[in-house]
Amino acid sequence: MTATARMAMLDLRTVAPYRYYGLGVFALGVLVFASKPIWFVPALVLMFTAQIAPYPFSVADKAGLETLYAVLPVPRRAVVYGHYAWAVAIFLATATVGTGLALLIARIQDVPFGGRVVVTMLTLSWALFAINVAIQFPLLIRFGYTRVSVLGTSMPLALVLGVVYRMRITVASMQSWLPLIGVAALAVFVASAAVATAVDGRRVRHGWNRRTD
Amino acid sequence: MSSDLAFALRGVGAAVGRKFALRDVSFELPTGYVMGLIGANGAGKTTIIRCLLGMREIDTGEIELLGHRVPGPSDLRQDIGVVLDHAFLVGDWRLTDVERVLRPFYPRWDGARYRQLLDEFGIELRAKVKELSRGMSMKLMIAVALSHQARLLLFDEPTSGLDPVARDELAGIIGDFLTDEGHSVLFSTHITADLDRIGDYVTLVHNGRVVRTGAKDEILDAYRVVRGGPEDLGGLVGVELIGARHTSTGAQALVRTEEADLLGGRVLVEAPTLEEIAVHIGARAPHPKPLSTGRTA
Repeated sequence: MTATARMAMLDLRTVAPYRYYGLGVFALGVLVFASKPIWFVPALVLMFTAQIAPYPFSVADKAGLETLYAVLPVPRRAVVYGHYAWAVAIFLATATVGTGLALLIARIQDVPFGGRVVVTMLTLSWALFAINVAIQFPLLIRFGYTRVSVLGTSMPLALVLGVVYRMRITVASMQSWLPLIGVAALAVFVASAAVATAVDGRRVRHGWNRRTD
Repeated sequence: MSSDLAFALRGVGAAVGRKFALRDVSFELPTGYVMGLIGANGAGKTTIIRCLLGMREIDTGEIELLGHRVPGPSDLRQDIGVVLDHAFLVGDWRLTDVERVLRPFYPRWDGARYRQLLDEFGIELRAKVKELSRGMSMKLMIAVALSHQARLLLFDEPTSGLDPVARDELAGIIGDFLTDEGHSVLFSTHITADLDRIGDYVTLVHNGRVVRTGAKDEILDAYRVVRGGPEDLGGLVGVELIGARHTSTGAQALVRTEEADLLGGRVLVEAPTLEEIAVHIGARAPHPKPLSTGRTA
């Protein structure tokens, strides 16, 4: 297992004791968005990942895991990449389960949903997730969860939703742009990881706090 | 790089904000020994440990750690165990989870040893981290360090919240750890009594500087405490009174042993404790100056 994969596993273990909170958020999302099966996956992904992907930062802040990260035998960049890998894993799990649920709900409601529409919605989900995380994570790494908890989790969500609303996106309007949307979201995500690595490196160089005992 | 040294700091300077800095910090620990890092709160002990671990970049000088120049390869941290006065782990993890979390990071992780140590320490595997007392938390972190077979243990104020029994137990644990000649310990504390039993070397820090470093016995032999009446320590020629304290009923100071004979019979001359040396040297140590200033008391 690579250092990044081990750090992603550490994020999973970090939030594991609080899995019922995560399941609650997921269940709430399912209940809220079940009436619109076509938009179910992007909505669920955005809501769930915006809450759960940054959750390791919250637990780490309270438990002082920065010290653990510093003493573990992994390169520092693996700590940052591990957070991003964890977020991708959460996205993949949410998108997979969400798609299955969306297909089921669509069948029950007799709504046509499949083929290109599914691909379109998954691409949109990826883009919403990537942009949200791309904004959240550098802020969380730079300032810590405690200092940006509301800003870091709500502001990107509001920004992404606002942009989507203003663009009056429809399934048909998106389909010709799918490859570009997917690649652009990937580019934003990778750029965010690079920025976060630089931010984290700067923070390490200058120490995490001013304690001098 | 020397394989005979657990670590060495050479001329290390590191600014921490605008008001504090390590200045020209130099000391070293031979492999197989315990060093006490003594200083008041805010003296720079934690900053030194952070620099050793590569958690903070240094501005000047160099640090050697287990034969590597810091920052060395990340695998170097396989050989280092860090013990604070609290566990830097998720409070809701059970101790079985702690093993599950840490094992993938340490190829030499010995699960049987982990469980054996927790059993010896009287800690339940099913307990949660947040349910442990400070002493138990410290023992958990020691168990973790010994389970991944660290060669160097760094303790940062581990005894500050412990009762005397727990502190005595810690001394025993460190003694057992040192039965392997390749093992070493750096022990930061402001409770100097902890070092009376286990310390081989001592480094005194004050205001970000090393004011004295060396073998504990040499440092104890190098000074004498002198006590006398309010006027007895005045007007002495050829004797430097280190950190002299005057009260209405008496006076006390530290002097170099070779100068103690010059005092005559009018004052009481005694062997000092580490605490007395730390207090008097700390009291006379200069205030911070730019990074290039000297270090020796």
